[in-house]
Amino acid sequence: MGKDLSFGRREFLGAGLTAVAAASVGSSSEVLAQQAAKPLPAYVGWKDPNALIIHSDQTLEMKRDLFGSSLITPEDRLFVRNNVKAPSDSIVADRDGWRVEFAGVKEPKTLTLGDLKRMGVVTLATVLQCSGNGRKYFMDKLSGDQKMSGTPWTVGASGCVIWSGVPLKTVIAALGGQVTGVKYITGTGGEEIPAGLNPKDLIVERSVPLKNLDHVILAWEMNGKPLSVAHGGPLRMIVPGYSGVNNVKYVKTVALTVAQTDARIQSTNYRYHSMTEKPSPDHPAVWEQPVKSWITSPLTDKKAGQVQVTGLALGGMNELARVDVSLDGGKTWKEAKFVGPDLGRFAWRLFVLPAVMKPGEYTLVSRARDAKGNVQPEDSPLNGSGYGYNGWRGPAVKIMVA
Amino acid sequence: MRLSGLLILTFALTAPINQARSDNAAMALGKKVFLELAEPQCALCHTLADAGSTGPVGPVLDDLKPTADRVRTAVTKGVGPMPANTILTREQIDAVALYISTVTGAR
Repeated sequence: MGKDLSFGRREFLGAGLTAVAAASVGSSSEVLAQQAAKPLPAYVGWKDPNALIIHSDQTLEMKRDLFGSSLITPEDRLFVRNNVKAPSDSIVADRDGWRVEFAGVKEPKTLTLGDLKRMGVVTLATVLQCSGNGRKYFMDKLSGDQKMSGTPWTVGASGCVIWSGVPLKTVIAALGGQVTGVKYITGTGGEEIPAGLNPKDLIVERSVPLKNLDHVILAWEMNGKPLSVAHGGPLRMIVPGYSGVNNVKYVKTVALTVAQTDARIQSTNYRYHSMTEKPSPDHPAVWEQPVKSWITSPLTDKKAGQVQVTGLALGGMNELARVDVSLDGGKTWKEAKFVGPDLGRFAWRLFVLPAVMKPGEYTLVSRARDAKGNVQPEDSPLNGSGYGYNGWRGPAVKIMVA
Repeated sequence: MRLSGLLILTFALTAPINQARSDNAAMALGKKVFLELAEPQCALCHTLADAGSTGPVGPVLDDLKPTADRVRTAVTKGVGPMPANTILTREQIDAVALYISTVTGAR
C-alpha cells in the first residue's frame, strides 16, 4: 500500500485513530468509494463528483468501475490533470476569436479559431492518458529508501474521446509549408504564469517529432461539444498516440522548430530516467504510449456461474493484434475477443472473455499485443518519475467467486 | 542508583519540553522556508492558509494535506512543474515538511 492511500484512510476515519487501526480497515477501493463526497474544484464543478477520485485540485482520476463498455468516455467523468492552474472561463467567452500564432512556416501568421474552422475538419478517436497513469504500481514496489513523487494513479487517468478539429498539416500547407531544417512540432499552452516566476519553469510547451504532422489536429470539439476549459478549450493540440502532456491545452502557438523547447516541462521533466539519475534532455522524452490493457469487469466478488470478463486495450501508436486474459494471475491464458467498433489505431478496444467461474479465488489480468508484435510486459521497468507503466501485473483484479 | 534514577526522571520530565521547543523552532523555520528561503518560494505557487499564501500554480496544500514524507519527496525530487530543490539544507527541508504537514492536519 502506498503512503497516499494510508493517508486517505486516515482522512476518512478522522483524526486521532492510529495507523494500526486504520490499516485494519477494508480495501483501498472501498475507502476511495467512501471518500466520494469531497467537493470538486470550481473549474470542474460540472463533473460528476461520484465518478472521480480527487487526488488534488489538479489531479482527478476516474473510478475503475466506470469505464463501461461503450468505448467513449463521457466528459463529466473523464480524468483531469493540469500542470498549471486552468485559465478562467473568460478564455472561452469568444471561442472563434481565440488567436493562434504559427511559426516555422514560410508565411508565419496568427490565425483565429474562426479561420481554422474554415480551413478543414476531421474527427478522430484517441486514448487520452496521463503520462503517469499506473504510477501507483511502481510506487507499490519501491524499496524502503526509494522515493517517487507524483500522483498515485492506478488506471483511471485515461479515457477514449472523439476530437474534431483541423489537421495541422492543412494549416501548415496554407501557410506556405515548413521552413527547411525543422524537426519538431512545438505547441505552447495559454496558462497564465504568475509574476515572480520564471516562465520557462512553468510554461506548458511541448515538442514532438515532426513525423506526427501526418495526424496532429488542432481540436475545438470533444465528444460533440465545444471543448471545455478543463480539457483545453477553446483549442487543444492533439498528438494521437502520445501521452496526455503532449496534447497541449489552450494552444496559443504552434511552431515547427529545429530543436526541442528548453521549457522545463520538456527539457528535464517528463523524461525516462533511473531512480538515481537527475532527469536531463539526454534521457528519452515521454512521448508515444506503449501497448497496454486492463480488466474493467468484474472488479468485485461474484456468484459462481457464467461471467463476461471485459477490459480495454490500447496499442499506443499501433493497431492491436490480440488480447489474452488470465483468470489465475498469469499462469494460463485464453485469447479474448474484440467487440464493438474499431475506432482506429489511436483509440482503445473493448475485449471480452466469457468464462464459467466455479467457487474460488481468481486473479484477473489481461495482456495486449499490437500489430507490430509489441507485447505488454508483466511489469514495466522502474523509472524515477513513474511514467509509462504498462505492465499486466499491476492492475490485476483479485476476486472471490462463491 | 539514586542519582541515576533522578537523572532519568529529570530527562523524562524535560525531554517532551525540549522536543516541543525544537518542534516550535522547526515550525518557525518551516514557515520561513515556505515564504522566503525556497527558490522559487513555495508560496508563489501554492495556496496555504496558515502562511497566508494564495499561489495559483500548484495544488492547494490545505486540500492536498501532504504527509511530511510526501513534502520531503516533492521538494527533493521535484514533481510535475515543481523543480527539485538545489539550495535548501536537509534541516530546512525537514522543517518545511513538518510545517506543511502540521498546519494542514496531515500529521
